[in-house]
Amino acid sequence: MEFVSPEGLRLDGRRPLEMRQLRAEIGTVAKANGSAVLEMGNTKVIAAVYGPREVQNRSQIINDQALVRCEYSMANFSTGDRMRKPKGDRRSTEISLVIRQTMEACILTHLMPRSQIDIFVQVLQADGGTRSACINAATLALADAGIPMRDIVTSCSAGYLNSTPLLDLNYIEDSAGGPDVTVGILPKLDKVTLLQMDAKLPVDIFENVMGLAIEGCKAVVNYIREDHQFKH
Amino acid sequence: MENKQSSSPASFIGSTVIPGDVVLDLSSMANQTIKLGDGLREDRDAISAMKAGTLRCKKPNKYRIESCQKRYVPCAGDTVLGIVVDSKRDDFLIDIKGPALAFLPVLAFEGGTRRNIPKFEVGTLLYLRVVKAKFGMNPELSCTDAHGKAAEFGLLKDGYMFETSTGLSRKLLSSPTCPVLESLGKKLPFEIAVGLNGRVWVNAASPHTIIAAANAIMNSES
Repeated sequence: MEFVSPEGLRLDGRRPLEMRQLRAEIGTVAKANGSAVLEMGNTKVIAAVYGPREVQNRSQIINDQALVRCEYSMANFSTGDRMRKPKGDRRSTEISLVIRQTMEACILTHLMPRSQIDIFVQVLQADGGTRSACINAATLALADAGIPMRDIVTSCSAGYLNSTPLLDLNYIEDSAGGPDVTVGILPKLDKVTLLQMDAKLPVDIFENVMGLAIEGCKAVVNYIREDHQFKH
Repeated sequence: MENKQSSSPASFIGSTVIPGDVVLDLSSMANQTIKLGDGLREDRDAISAMKAGTLRCKKPNKYRIESCQKRYVPCAGDTVLGIVVDSKRDDFLIDIKGPALAFLPVLAFEGGTRRNIPKFEVGTLLYLRVVKAKFGMNPELSCTDAHGKAAEFGLLKDGYMFETSTGLSRKLLSSPTCPVLESLGKKLPFEIAVGLNGRVWVNAASPHTIIAAANAIMNSES
């Protein structure tokens, strides 16, 4: 199947190096301490952050840092066919763990010992790149909650189809069977906190694709910086 | 062509920053003492932001990040509104919207002795002062001011309590008097207690007045 036409257009009309449209709004969940809704093209996710607050399970208290908990779930109506089990399945557990580790790397947990920070992310519409959208939404929600962070984390995915590196895959391109590289970076510190890939890629092409995903992450940072007024 | 990074402090003061932004480059400021307030941390040769907000500078050398949050970070000397969650032998456990429950010693009242310990039920609203607040420890509160006098602290009877963000509480307590309170005060008679932890209590003669005042304050945020 042809994912990149001879004129250089993808299935949804984008160029190979073009990201989908980003839109975000913070403070959308009134009850949560911090929240954000983020859209990357047709993928729409909502993130809510509670904390720092008292640890609910006494046995899990960590004496010198905060406990970060993360839960990822997909709404039943988020994919084409109605889903049976939105959370608790292996993919959700894995993505919850991935998001938790990524956010834990950037939160200054030692400043809030013996407390708990809960991050809840829910996918409202899934069209590829849900992992990246969730991390970006979680970053905005944490910043909205005023939780001290080392740096913001942004994430983007990239793939390789029809011998072309493609940035920000949507669902059709993702399920095409080609490799899907997801990268999460700390932009100011220029460090990578998340790097995942499925399928195989030769090393030189991998470097290209990973570089492209990092460029995508930096585009997300620019969007957050310019279009977001964390005004007082 | 030399690419100069604009990391001079003048370029960031008064503008919005996000976590990770380097707001001050220490290598260009030798032999100066600067005081870091809320939201800033020292990272080798630079001062970077931990929170998203506006960078403020109080002359000559105090910097902090002003941001508006729902969660409160306890700080010694603040006045807060707390709700009693539990009472133990030596202290009351109070919820002040912070990372941990706070303790109010049973004797921290004016003229408090073992014989006249006040009886607060769970859910009582109190106006308190934060005595000690350190990371990792539960904050300690008191119903007296620093000299031991009652000074308006203690039980808040009747009235209506609502929650706001910490930014709005700071604005309500700022001087000169916040314009909302000033204009409200000219039209309606009411009593108000503002806690820096994002809780406000309003009392007036009739429920109609209380609701009007509360709505006016809540809507003044945006």
